[in-house]
Amino acid sequence: MRGTYRIIVQNKRIRYDFAIRRNLTVIQGNSATGKTTLIDMIREHYENGPASGVGLRSDKECTVLSGRNWEADLSAMQDSIVFIDEGNGFVFSDRFAAVIQDTDNYYVIVTREAIPSLPYSIEEIYGIRDSGKYGTLKQTYNEFFHLYQAEGYQKIDTPKRIITEDSNAGHQFFKAIADGAAFGAEMEKMTRLLAGHGGLALYLPESFEWLLLRSGILEDDEVKKILAAPGAYIDSQEYFSWERFFTALLIKKTDKSYLKYTKRTLNAAYLNEKIRDKIIAVIGRT
Amino acid sequence: MLDIFYGKMPGAVFNTSVYFKNVYEDSWITDPFSKEMILDVDRSVVLGGGVIDSPVLGKIGPNSLSGGVKTLILIKNEPQTIFNASTCGDDCAKWILKIAELQDVTINLRHLMDFGNGRFNIHILNTDQIVHSMKELVPIAGLYV
Repeated sequence: MRGTYRIIVQNKRIRYDFAIRRNLTVIQGNSATGKTTLIDMIREHYENGPASGVGLRSDKECTVLSGRNWEADLSAMQDSIVFIDEGNGFVFSDRFAAVIQDTDNYYVIVTREAIPSLPYSIEEIYGIRDSGKYGTLKQTYNEFFHLYQAEGYQKIDTPKRIITEDSNAGHQFFKAIADGAAFGAEMEKMTRLLAGHGGLALYLPESFEWLLLRSGILEDDEVKKILAAPGAYIDSQEYFSWERFFTALLIKKTDKSYLKYTKRTLNAAYLNEKIRDKIIAVIGRT
Repeated sequence: MLDIFYGKMPGAVFNTSVYFKNVYEDSWITDPFSKEMILDVDRSVVLGGGVIDSPVLGKIGPNSLSGGVKTLILIKNEPQTIFNASTCGDDCAKWILKIAELQDVTINLRHLMDFGNGRFNIHILNTDQIVHSMKELVPIAGLYV
């Protein structure tokens, strides 16, 4: 599956309106924000259709996965947006991570516990908030919001020390970068550790390869189009994370050129002053 | 004292909503302490043992309370059982600290719940250390979640 899907779920009392952009979305946040109510409504609509009293608008089928027979149930779910409520311990298993890689579904998982086996992006970790009554009805309107946003940004001219999560080419280039595409499981821990410490900054691009593509050094129109709306191009069955897609794209686009990219060892051409400055300039813009 | 075991804990009740559904008693809901928690976290008013008035959902039964408040009620009323309190949001943290002022409490956390900027006494069972602030807690607990 690829693309962004707007989903509206409602009954007489409550309405949810949100968009799902990638194969993995995580919902967290405070209690009593309506996470379980949302999933119950989707389940009731899936089981009973409009006769449930729940209205659901989505271009893809929305289903709910739960319980001990999750693997058998999942085998019947295709081209769907699959919602999983908290209390389903299977989402933390390596088996779950392995099985969903071979599916063409999107997954929306409610959990405060990190899932290190899944490469979810910090961009797709949401809370739910009440944005007031909807229209003239006595209906509460709920929306998703990004749980981790760049707040209190201060420019750091020359970092004294840079810690990198990347062990391959990215580390060799910057000795300086973590990638946001698969950093979701670590984000809570990072924000808690950074709280109250001044002079620290996190920079979390999609991935090192995204940074290289975004720098414009390839001067490739197709790359520009893809970067403007990656979700429209990235098939979730082929690429479990956006990082993998951007790596494959960069390798393909630089093959047989002086910028030939390999993930393990950084091509020295990327350390050329002009190219390096273009790449670093992306950090100031994103 | 509040004892916390961080990370996966065999024997702890993981799915607290299912457990609550099968064990709760009406008196747990009408207890003044529970009423306060339900009002604060769920913004709902207890009308009686079986009925709660929710501003969003209308009249609901106890099973329709939020997962967080159901876990708080379990922690308060079954101190001999250890519950997965990662079903509670940060808005429940102050209530866990309040319950621990009244009685000894042991919970399991699988994420870094924010206990706020104040001072507290939390015994981290994994390392047998007592911490008094989030600044002390996070570097220790972060190793286990």
